[in-house]
Amino acid sequence: MSAGIVLDGVVKRYGDHVALDVDHLAVPRGALAVVVGPSGCGKSTALRLVSGLDRPDEGRIWIDGSDVTDRPPGARSLSMVFQDFALYPHLTVAENIGFSLTLRAHRPRLSRASVDAKVSSAAALLRIDELLHRRPSQLSGGQRQRVAIARAIIREPEVLLLDEPLSSLDAQLRHHARTELLRLHRELRSTIVLVTHDQSEALSMADHLVVLDQGRVAQAGPPQEVYDHPATTFVARFLGAPPMNLQSRDGLLLGWRPEAALFGAAPPGAHSVAGTVDVVEYTGDGHLVTCTAPTGPWSARVPGGTPPPPPGSALTVHVPAASLHRFDATTGTRLTG
Amino acid sequence: MRRADLRHHATLGIAVVASTAPLLWALASSFKPVNRIYDPVAPPWPVSFDNYRVALTGFPIASLLGNTLLMASAVTAMQLVVAVLAAYGMVRFKVRRAGLLLAALTGALVVPTQSLMVPHFLMLVELGWRNTYAGLVVPQLSGCALAVLLLRQNLLALPPNLFAAAAIDAATPGETLWRVVLPLLRPAMSSVGILVFVATWNEYLWPLLAVPDTDHATIQIGLQSFMNSEGANHGPLLAAAMLSTIPVVAMYLVASRRIVDAFLHSGLR
Repeated sequence: MSAGIVLDGVVKRYGDHVALDVDHLAVPRGALAVVVGPSGCGKSTALRLVSGLDRPDEGRIWIDGSDVTDRPPGARSLSMVFQDFALYPHLTVAENIGFSLTLRAHRPRLSRASVDAKVSSAAALLRIDELLHRRPSQLSGGQRQRVAIARAIIREPEVLLLDEPLSSLDAQLRHHARTELLRLHRELRSTIVLVTHDQSEALSMADHLVVLDQGRVAQAGPPQEVYDHPATTFVARFLGAPPMNLQSRDGLLLGWRPEAALFGAAPPGAHSVAGTVDVVEYTGDGHLVTCTAPTGPWSARVPGGTPPPPPGSALTVHVPAASLHRFDATTGTRLTG
Repeated sequence: MRRADLRHHATLGIAVVASTAPLLWALASSFKPVNRIYDPVAPPWPVSFDNYRVALTGFPIASLLGNTLLMASAVTAMQLVVAVLAAYGMVRFKVRRAGLLLAALTGALVVPTQSLMVPHFLMLVELGWRNTYAGLVVPQLSGCALAVLLLRQNLLALPPNLFAAAAIDAATPGETLWRVVLPLLRPAMSSVGILVFVATWNEYLWPLLAVPDTDHATIQIGLQSFMNSEGANHGPLLAAAMLSTIPVVAMYLVASRRIVDAFLHSGLR
C-alpha cells in the first residue's frame, strides 16, 4: 500500500508547549484514517499542519509522494471540513459548494454551466439537491454538515480532512452521519483523515487508527490490531468502554477487558479475579458489574440471559490466558505475549 | 408594565426630551416672525416663511451644501477604503509588532484633532492645497483610526475558520477580501460610514483653515459667516441652520433601519 500522507520528524510548538512531536507517521493512500486522543493531545494541530493552515517548526509533510511542507493550503490537493463547518453565511448552498471552482487559482477555468453541473452532482451525492437555494442560516446542523462536505469534495481532492465532523450533531444524527461518511469514503476513494475524541467513533469508522497522547503517536495501525494489542496502558485504557482493567501483580501490570471475563467454572490456565460486587448497571445486551477488590476496582460484562450477581455478593471471574495483556509496571509499555 | 420597564422608559423619555427639545424649539422659532422670536412660549403660528426667504437670498445654500456633501462623501469613502484594508491586514495576516500597531491606533483616538491643526496647515500650505478640494478632503483621512478599530472589531467577530475555509478553497487574500470579507462587513461598513459622514458634515475648524474662500466653503462655515454678516438676526440664522440639517436628517430617515441592523448584527454568527 503506497503512502497517502507522511509526517516525517514533524514538531510543532506553541511557545514552550510542544503541541505535536511525530517521528514518523504514514497514512496509507485511500485509507479512512482516524486520529483519536483526549483533548489537547495534538490531533487538531496535526490536521492543521497537514492542511497547511499551520506550518511545522521542524520536519517535512508529504502527500501522495510530493513534499508539500512549503505549499499553501490551496496548493495541496486537499480540502477540509471544519468542526463548525465554516460555511460562507452570505452565500447560498450552491454558491458555497461551487465557491472554489470560481476562484482564479482553479484550473481549468470552468464555464458557469459546468460549475453548476459539478455543484448539482456533488449535491446529489450528499442528497441536498433540495437545499441549493437556501442560506446556511436556514439549515439544520446535519444539513450544514452535508453542505460542508459537498464543498470539500467538489474539487475532487486527493485528501479530505474532517475535524470532529460528528461532534456538533445530536446523538440521533450521529450514527446516521457515520454510515454516510463510510459510504462516501467508498464512493470517493480518496484518503480521508478524520479527527475525533470519541474512541467508539474511532474504532467503528477507521481502517487505520492513530492514537495520540500528549503530542506523540502512542500507536498506529488497523483498529482491531490496536484494540487487541494495545502498545501502552494509555492506549489500553483509552480504547474500549468501559476501559480495560489493570491490576498490578508480580511486578507487572496485568490487563483484561471487561468483556473477556468468564463466569462459572475456571477453564484450564485461566487467570481468576475475586471481588465484591459494588454496582450493577443494565446495558441492554446484558449487565456491567463493578467490583471492589484489595488490588483495586475492576469491572466485568455479564452477557444477556445470565442473571447478574446482587450488589454486596462475592464474585469470582476467570480470564482466559489469551485475553490477558501484560505491561511494564513503570513504563506502561506492552510486554510481548 | 413592569416596574423595571417603567424606569427604563422614564430614563429614555428624559433623554429624548433633552435631545429633541432644543431642536424643536429652533424649528418652531425659525417659522416665527421677528416680533415673536424672542418669546419662547409663543406658538409658531400663523407660520411665517420670512426667515427662510431672507436666508435663501442672503445665503448661497446650494453651493454650501454641495461642497459639504462632496467633502463628507469623499472623506467617508477614503476612510472606509483605508480602514477596510488596514483592518483586514491586521486580522488576516500575522503582523509583526501587532500590539504596537494597535496601541498606536488607540493612541491616535485620544490625540485631540486641534493639536494636529498647525502641522496639517503647514503641510497644506507647502503643498499649495489651500482653497482646493484636495486640501479640504485629504488631511481628514488622518482621522481614520476609529474606523480601523471598529472594522477590526467586526472582523474579529467573524468565525476564524471562515478565513481558513477560504484558504483551503485556494482563494487568494484579495479574493477572500472581495468575496468573503466585504459582503459580511457591509453592515459594519455602513454604520461606520454613517458615523464618519456625520462627523465630517459637522466639521468646522478644518474647513475654516483649509478653504477660507466662499467658493469652497462648507455649510458650517457658511452659517458662521452668515451670522457675522446678519449680526443678531436670529430668525434667518435659525432658518439657515434648519436648512443645513436637511441632508443629514434625510439620510437618517432613509438609513435608520440599516443603522439599527448594523449595530444589532455586529456580533455576526
